[in-house]
Amino acid sequence: MAVIETERLTKYYGEHRGVEDVTIDVREGEVFGLLGPNGAGKTTVIRTLLDFLHPTRGSARVFGLDSRRESVAIRARLGNLPGDFGYGKLATGREALSLLARLRGVADLGHAESLARRFRADLDRPLGQLSRGNRQKIGLILAAFHRPELLILDEPTSGLDPLMQEEFLSLVQEERDRGGAVLLSSHELDEVERVCERVAIIRAGGLVAVESVPDLLGKAPRRVSVVFSGSAALPDLKRLPGVSDVSVDGRRVSFRLTGEVDPVLKELASHPVADLEVARPTLEEIFLTYYEGASA
Amino acid sequence: MSALIGAQLRERRRAVLTWGLPIGLWSAFIVAIFPSVESALSKAVQSYPTALKEAFGVGNLSTVEQYLNAEMFSLIVPLAVGYLAVRSVASGLSGAAESGRLDVILSAPVSRVAIVRAGFCAAAAEVAAVLVIALALTMLGSAVSGAGLSFSSALAGFASVWPLALISAALGIIVTGFSLRTSTVTGLVVGLLVGMYVLDLAGRLDTSLDWIRYGSVFRYYGGAIEKGIDPVSFFGVVVAAIALAAAGGVLFDRRDLAA
Repeated sequence: MAVIETERLTKYYGEHRGVEDVTIDVREGEVFGLLGPNGAGKTTVIRTLLDFLHPTRGSARVFGLDSRRESVAIRARLGNLPGDFGYGKLATGREALSLLARLRGVADLGHAESLARRFRADLDRPLGQLSRGNRQKIGLILAAFHRPELLILDEPTSGLDPLMQEEFLSLVQEERDRGGAVLLSSHELDEVERVCERVAIIRAGGLVAVESVPDLLGKAPRRVSVVFSGSAALPDLKRLPGVSDVSVDGRRVSFRLTGEVDPVLKELASHPVADLEVARPTLEEIFLTYYEGASA
Repeated sequence: MSALIGAQLRERRRAVLTWGLPIGLWSAFIVAIFPSVESALSKAVQSYPTALKEAFGVGNLSTVEQYLNAEMFSLIVPLAVGYLAVRSVASGLSGAAESGRLDVILSAPVSRVAIVRAGFCAAAAEVAAVLVIALALTMLGSAVSGAGLSFSSALAGFASVWPLALISAALGIIVTGFSLRTSTVTGLVVGLLVGMYVLDLAGRLDTSLDWIRYGSVFRYYGGAIEKGIDPVSFFGVVVAAIALAAAGGVLFDRRDLAA
């Protein structure tokens, strides 16, 4: 059963398009990414699922329940980390946790305490005295302390240092291993690639594509640069499938590679290679891939 | 809902003291100086125009209750407490939206209507606590100065402000149905309160305009410290406030909560 299903979900803010015709589904035990630049409409999709925003057209169902009419029942089963987590300046994380535990009917806060230790989060300082990263840790604890069936994370790692980002992403993987579904919005391709099985690409309010992460990366071009050693003839890479824009500068050969990596690696392996560099596609390059595909 | 009310009251605990103490101390001061200014006041009041005296309810200042009514309950306390009530309800709705707290709370299985109810109840409790502190300090001022203020009169005076505060809170909820900016909510409601006060005053000054006072909640307020609480006015305004708050809850439930 799909945990989240949207059908041509559309939200307009007056004349301004928030999102239009977004159709996605998130399955049980899946980490699903919403990928797009800032302002693309990722947060609008999430807020509509949570009934913070009411759709202009289309529908959204979570756990098979209507996001508008059965919102309270839906929110009983999920955890949400808002994009820019805040809770006022005076309250402490523990006060916020205590309120949410009461609202959720959770008596055992053992998991919350263990998350606080794991993320080195200070639950007893007023939130106004914490850095953005430390507030974000509190936000994650509030989202996950009750072991929800669905975890919604809107730009979760913004403001976190690299070590904490790692810890954060491993928690997402643990949630998935536990059988929970995770909807994670991000504008970082690396982050989405690390933890998501499938991803919806959103840009300017429109759904560009829904792909598995390997398919997504496979379609996008990588820029490859190889430095050959010795004086043997350089390989003819142009004849290989997916290779384009080949340029030669001395013993360095640079080219774009789309699709299968294996034939290129086998060709390179038959020559003495001094150095190899593969640049990952940027988010913009991925978008261009899809737009070029759509206009072809 | 008790969890939400408790959380809001904890969040606003400082406001109870920062409002209750000044109002109470000022009121205590007014009561305490009454014995020493009593005779001078009576002479001064006799020189006031009759219409003015009637409009501001200062027809006679021969008792400490009349003096307290004119100095505190005709304008200062109702407007101050009305402002406090709208600030209180706004902190739980528009203020919570601005700080991000509303998103966090609404991620839990709680309806928006429940949040509105809790905000209204918390505002009512906060105002009641402020009025109790003010009443206690006022009675202390009377005891220290020997002004002889009657407890039941003072209780009626402070209690009569409570329904006004509820109206203010309810209007705040209604405005929150259209705007999630605390400054807008507070400004509009305070403007409405002042407008209603002026409307009531105009109706009192010119009896041919008495009908316009029906558009003001202040028509149903005033003089309780001298005459006691009018139960019809008291409970009528409370019921009206609850009805307005319920309508505001529907508006709040229907609106978008943009990021």
